[in-house]
Amino acid sequence: MFLLALTNGLVIGIIYALAALGVSLVVGIMNVVNFAHGEFYILAGYFSYHFANTLGMNYLAAMMLSVGLVLIFGMIIEVLLIRKTYGDDLYSLILTFILSIVLQNTYLLVFGPYPNKPPNWVKGATNVFGQFYYGNQRLAACGAGLVVIAIVYLMLKKTWFGRMLRATSQDREVAELNGVNTTALNMLSFGLGCALAAAAGVILSPIFPVTPTGGMAVALTAFVVVVLGGMGSFWGCVVGGLIIGLVENFGAAFISSGYRHVFGFIILIFVLLVRPAGLFGNREI
Amino acid sequence: MAMLEITGIDIFRGETQVLWDISLTVEKGERVAILGSNGAGKSTLLAAIIGMLKPTAGSILFHGLPITGSRPFENTRRGLALVPEGRRVYKEMSVIENLKMGAYPKRGRSRMAETMEEVVSLFPILGERREQLAGTLSGGEQQMLAIGRALMSRPELLLVDELSLGLAPVITKEIFRVLMQLGQEVTILMVEQNVEQALKYSQRAYVLESGRVVREGDSRVLGEDQGIRRAYLGM
Ligand SMILES: Nc1ncnc2c1ncn2[C@@H]1O[C@H](COP(=O)(O)OP(=O)(O)OP(=O)(O)O)[C@@H](O)[C@H]1O
Ligand SMILES: [Mg+2]
Repeated sequence: MFLLALTNGLVIGIIYALAALGVSLVVGIMNVVNFAHGEFYILAGYFSYHFANTLGMNYLAAMMLSVGLVLIFGMIIEVLLIRKTYGDDLYSLILTFILSIVLQNTYLLVFGPYPNKPPNWVKGATNVFGQFYYGNQRLAACGAGLVVIAIVYLMLKKTWFGRMLRATSQDREVAELNGVNTTALNMLSFGLGCALAAAAGVILSPIFPVTPTGGMAVALTAFVVVVLGGMGSFWGCVVGGLIIGLVENFGAAFISSGYRHVFGFIILIFVLLVRPAGLFGNREI
Repeated sequence: MAMLEITGIDIFRGETQVLWDISLTVEKGERVAILGSNGAGKSTLLAAIIGMLKPTAGSILFHGLPITGSRPFENTRRGLALVPEGRRVYKEMSVIENLKMGAYPKRGRSRMAETMEEVVSLFPILGERREQLAGTLSGGEQQMLAIGRALMSRPELLLVDELSLGLAPVITKEIFRVLMQLGQEVTILMVEQNVEQALKYSQRAYVLESGRVVREGDSRVLGEDQGIRRAYLGM
């Protein structure tokens, strides 16, 4: 029971971290909270389901294509909707909230109300610690999540693009003085934020099939992780994701599975009482 | 042809006009100072040149090319660089990463390693502190880093806003001395409240008062001017 909750917590926590990274990136660079974050996750799930199941594509190709399409979709949304709202945080919040509702209803119309499940990548189960059998698909999802997080980390630390992102999130005006086209960077980082939601979506949808309104819980959890970890902090997302994943699964295993999401909120409130800027946050709020 | 030629620009900040009909030229290889008391509009003028503010009238030419209304990133790629007021280093990035960020424009990136060596030989302390977070440097070191970062883009025209702000006189002097070493290679337009230093290290100067140019001329001549001495040097 204990080891199962631990394994579940770590596996789910990694994916939470991934979903939260996208939110955190967009908040850090653009000061925009994307309320429709979860809907990009769901969209990627639908894409990957239809590419693989309806069109018969290889599952990996279907996942990559889905993430790519959501990246482009995100960039288009930035240009059409978000760009006009810079400097007015409330306005972008309302706009992305409306977007999230519009997308949910569109999904309902286009994809129908029933859960869609892309194919599993692997079959069977593995005996963990000699204690219990754990689904291989979940283990693979955890591995994929770790790979994407590692790629994001390397991109942030080692590439010019990552350096530009970090510089811009620290001082947008000075980054522009250093030759960064911050308008183009906004478009790219919003797209990248959506693509990270999409990555989480394609990784997790074989385990938790997507539904039109399933994005709300995803976005909510991502926001909890970001606030817990500290706005705009990479390690905050990773650690925050793991904490929420573990707390939810231990709570569900030992207290009651009905209150799964409540446990995360309780931890969040305690952490914010002690550290208002989050675990790794150093920005004033 | 002058390197920088500003003709009759007006600048507003919000609803209020801050600069009136400013004209100014900088020749290649020159060091020019802009003097004036608090709120005279010196920083506003530099912000307008680099493109952070758009003039409502007048024109700005760089090598004869109109750059009025260009954005800062475009002007930096063209060969201008601004060391902003208050230094504004990336506090959570290391010294070396701050410098690399300065080399982001193509003109800087293609010669990054070479320029890095030059900057470190100008400011050896930056080499010693290369892995340190910029936010933990002293004020003087941060100013050196801000100048070094601007030089990393290999600018032709360096705009420096209040180099001496909050620094001990010996540090200010040291940094000015380094700027002098750049010589003919980099043209400098500097804003200063420290009038004595500014006149000493520049060849020509403009005096701004309430958003207008009220005097201009040879720095040495201005330094001996009774009116200037009384107004700015307290003599
Ligand atoms: N962001 C702003 N919004 C509105 N007005 C501003 C802004 N920044 C500066 N001003 C006003 O513009 C005028 C010129 O300011 P500026 O910063 O250019 O002066 P300065 O000569 O650089 O002064 P200092 O020596 O104090 O740096 C001042 O009256 C100031 O109040
Ligand atoms: Mg100023």
